[in-house]
Amino acid sequence: MISAGNDIVALKAINITRTKQQNFYRKIITETEKALYDKPFSEGLPFEQFVWLLWTIKESVYKYLQRINPGLIFSPTKIVIGQLDPPSNNTISIFESRGFNDPKVYKGTAEFGAHILYSRSIITEDFIFSVVNHINGFERVMWGIKLIDSSEPDRQSDAVRVFAIAMLSSLFPDAELEIGKSVYGYPVLLKNGDETPVPISLAHHDRYVAYSFQM
Amino acid sequence: MTREETLNELKKVIAPYTVNKEMLAGINDQTDLIRDLKINSANLVDIIIDAEAKYDIEIDYDSADKMINVGSCLDVITEKINQK
Repeated sequence: MISAGNDIVALKAINITRTKQQNFYRKIITETEKALYDKPFSEGLPFEQFVWLLWTIKESVYKYLQRINPGLIFSPTKIVIGQLDPPSNNTISIFESRGFNDPKVYKGTAEFGAHILYSRSIITEDFIFSVVNHINGFERVMWGIKLIDSSEPDRQSDAVRVFAIAMLSSLFPDAELEIGKSVYGYPVLLKNGDETPVPISLAHHDRYVAYSFQM
Repeated sequence: MTREETLNELKKVIAPYTVNKEMLAGINDQTDLIRDLKINSANLVDIIIDAEAKYDIEIDYDSADKMINVGSCLDVITEKINQK
């Protein structure tokens, strides 16, 4: 089933000291995953960013699968990142796009039970953003990242919806669009008041908001 | 420690991670950490670590998975305290 899952972590809002503590990061990554950090790709990537990179992938996987299985519980250590390939360099200047033609993204594979999902991640000095898909191609995935003026939860929620609707409106120019919530809590796109099959995922942390959806 | 005492301590654990102080004051078993208290999921691990320190307990992965609302947090914390 086609779904959507993304996540963003604002690096200025994380606790670097705490993230490096074993009792903290062991709640997020497994020993096997920690071994990924020892591979050459991690050169220059601070450990705390590695931990939050894996977090964003895992949270994206959870969001993707929760739409398929609404009773799913987010359990970070049960989602296993098996592969993570680094970009040649990490200078990203595009923050809203279809797919990931830019090679400067991390590419990964995540497993949860029988599910295998593929990830693309962007790391800047300000944030880590990840999005996942059920196939290793993202041509149908639209995504966007935006800095907003507030970290207040209601403002984040409003801002990410306005941001996503702006992109969606360019694809449905004559429709009245709205992003609502399913009874299970995941976002749904409403077109002229009716729920559409377009899967959409929203994320926010501190002053960053992000969306992804499939078209 | 009674459930009410555990709840009062839990409020202190949660307080740094929610701006919804009014709702925090009146939380009950059904209060959802993310939906109601607007706690960012990135802070859920902080709450588990802080609860471990506050109650001098260890919360394993399966127990941590259950800590979605206030009632399940109290159940897990009480269970771990009783196991000490």
